[in-house]
Amino acid sequence: MPPSEPAPTGDAGPPGDAVTGGPDDGLGLDEYVPGGAVVLDDAERWPALSAVGRQRLDRVRAHPDAPQWTHAAGDRLTAAGHARAAVPLPTAGWLPGHLATARALPAYRGHPGPLDHLQDFPTIGREDLVRDVSLFVPLDVDLDLMVHGTSSGSTGHALVIPDHLEEVVRGFHLLVSLVEAQGVRWRPDPDRLAVAHVVAQRQAFTYASALPAFGDTVMARLNLAGWPGRAAFLAAHDPQVYTGHPTSLEELLAPDLAPRLHPLAIVSSAMALTAPLRAALHAAYGCPLLDLYGLHETRPIAVSADGGPHVVLDRRLVVEVLGPTGAPVPAGERGEIVVTAGENPLLPLVRYRTGDTGRLVEVGGRPAIADLEGRDPVRFLAADGRLVPSVDLTQQLQAYGARGWTVDQDAAGAVRAVVAGGAADAIGRALVTLLGRPVQVRQVERLADLGPGKPRRYRSEVVTPRPAAGTSG
Amino acid sequence: MAELFRRRRGGGVPGPEALLASWLAEEPDEERAWDSLAPGPGVAEVAARLAATPGEFLDPRAGVVPLVGDVLDGDPAALAVAARIRDSGCPAARAGAAVAAWLWASEEVLGPLSVPLRRDYAGRVLAAVGFRLASAVDPATWLSDAERGEEAARVVLLWGGQLPAGEDGPAARSLFDRYDSVRRAADLGAALAEHRHRMEIARRLADARAREAAARHAPE
Repeated sequence: MPPSEPAPTGDAGPPGDAVTGGPDDGLGLDEYVPGGAVVLDDAERWPALSAVGRQRLDRVRAHPDAPQWTHAAGDRLTAAGHARAAVPLPTAGWLPGHLATARALPAYRGHPGPLDHLQDFPTIGREDLVRDVSLFVPLDVDLDLMVHGTSSGSTGHALVIPDHLEEVVRGFHLLVSLVEAQGVRWRPDPDRLAVAHVVAQRQAFTYASALPAFGDTVMARLNLAGWPGRAAFLAAHDPQVYTGHPTSLEELLAPDLAPRLHPLAIVSSAMALTAPLRAALHAAYGCPLLDLYGLHETRPIAVSADGGPHVVLDRRLVVEVLGPTGAPVPAGERGEIVVTAGENPLLPLVRYRTGDTGRLVEVGGRPAIADLEGRDPVRFLAADGRLVPSVDLTQQLQAYGARGWTVDQDAAGAVRAVVAGGAADAIGRALVTLLGRPVQVRQVERLADLGPGKPRRYRSEVVTPRPAAGTSG
Repeated sequence: MAELFRRRRGGGVPGPEALLASWLAEEPDEERAWDSLAPGPGVAEVAARLAATPGEFLDPRAGVVPLVGDVLDGDPAALAVAARIRDSGCPAARAGAAVAAWLWASEEVLGPLSVPLRRDYAGRVLAAVGFRLASAVDPATWLSDAERGEEAARVVLLWGGQLPAGEDGPAARSLFDRYDSVRRAADLGAALAEHRHRMEIARRLADARAREAAARHAPE
């Protein structure tokens, strides 16, 4: 599998136990054997790599404290491709052309009724892409720029996504612009890694990659788990920007790392970032912390720089919030986030149900998503018969400093919570008050100690989730 | 052509698009078919055999399943396809399969072709002529019209895993496309194009070069 979060194992096991796959590792996967998924040579990986870039890349790869690299991956772009990727796609008047492209997709052939306007299109969901993603790939697009991407999702089958090579690099330039929008001057520094994309899991793809488009500097994807040389390597290369999801970014708080690193910014994505973790990272590093919301299939959608609502990015995006019947909810009310996304030419999505919920508000004149909640909005049954939405528990858990948690309600109604960090006793009292029934609370030290999966999880066997908004046509 | 799709026994007879859909449901991989051809007889030779199809094969009262079973010694894959053709209730599909069955039978009746027809892909051939070709062309014209006969011969050879004698791969493919009635029929051509698109995407995404993927700067 290519270097996305692995579908079969997810965030398996605590970081300290990471072992790369191999014959002696009962949980090892062949794809993580070093070089197990490598096919190309460096010239194919970086067609625009200069001699200087080559030297810098080799220096990083060969560093004495470097991890055991399990993979290699490049941008695969020529100089001309890099030039195109450096320019954001124009947004003025993009939607009619996007809808025209979508109309011609095999997925909509034979659709009864007109597809003249956005609201004429039925909503679609992950299950539609899982069933046959090729129905959503235009017939006339250049497939030579297509590579394999995957999204594991929180449940169910992995989704294979056709990634566009230029769009991937355009995503890097988006990161640069988002960081610089916080007043940070992020320029290529030959003595530092430009980006450290960090994970913390049992097995992972790790690689160093050249950035010809960013002054011939280098980035790396690094597994912070089970890597003895991590502090020395990171101190030596002092990455300018760290990217990761909350579980891996929490590792940056470790005492062997925090005092030695000086990031210009930290970017969290893929999972919800709790307020306490944001505060802890800010206290440790004092740099801007961006919480970037988006799915692999939609590409980035919105960003929060301050823990407030996620402001929708100025890109080829339309964000709607729909109710259970598929109709838009009244302004400011909660519903399912549905996205029309035109950044990936290989997957022009129209009205794609994210499975996440939130409220559409305005921040600084731009649309923004408030109270963003992950997939499967769960409700808990209180002792008096009320249905309590998970967002109410989120507010209490965050207010008392929990950086992550799992809360389960069994069929008999008993509630158990495991929280990472925070004031366990206060959390317990708050949840008891909310639900009017006893709540057993256990505390763990780290997000990774919550076990596999995302660090904010709810499950109730008493109440089944509401069906997702709208239906596919 | 329309009468071949007329209603029979009060039930619906699949139209051209439905027949083509039956072909596409077989998940035919055209690229792989072109990549794995063994030497075969000449197109003219096969077309001449088609034109000599005897009346008893064309008799609609002759069941396609026993016919195929008899000619192909009970080949399970071929019988399964024959059953699907029977169950379609489509006279055109039945006629197409029967004409293909004659080709194998003819090698015993009239002697082998210059290169004997392969039998290991018989099921695929039956589906190609019964569903794919019959969706666009009346099987009767395969026997009476030179161009349609050549088209039918090329369909049999490609899906039977054989390259026409005297032609190389690119030439054979070019000629196949030139004679292909399905591609020329607007609605059928669109369905076929989508199927090819689907197969191409699946193939490229599974290719190891695509699977090495691109460097990711942040998780999603």
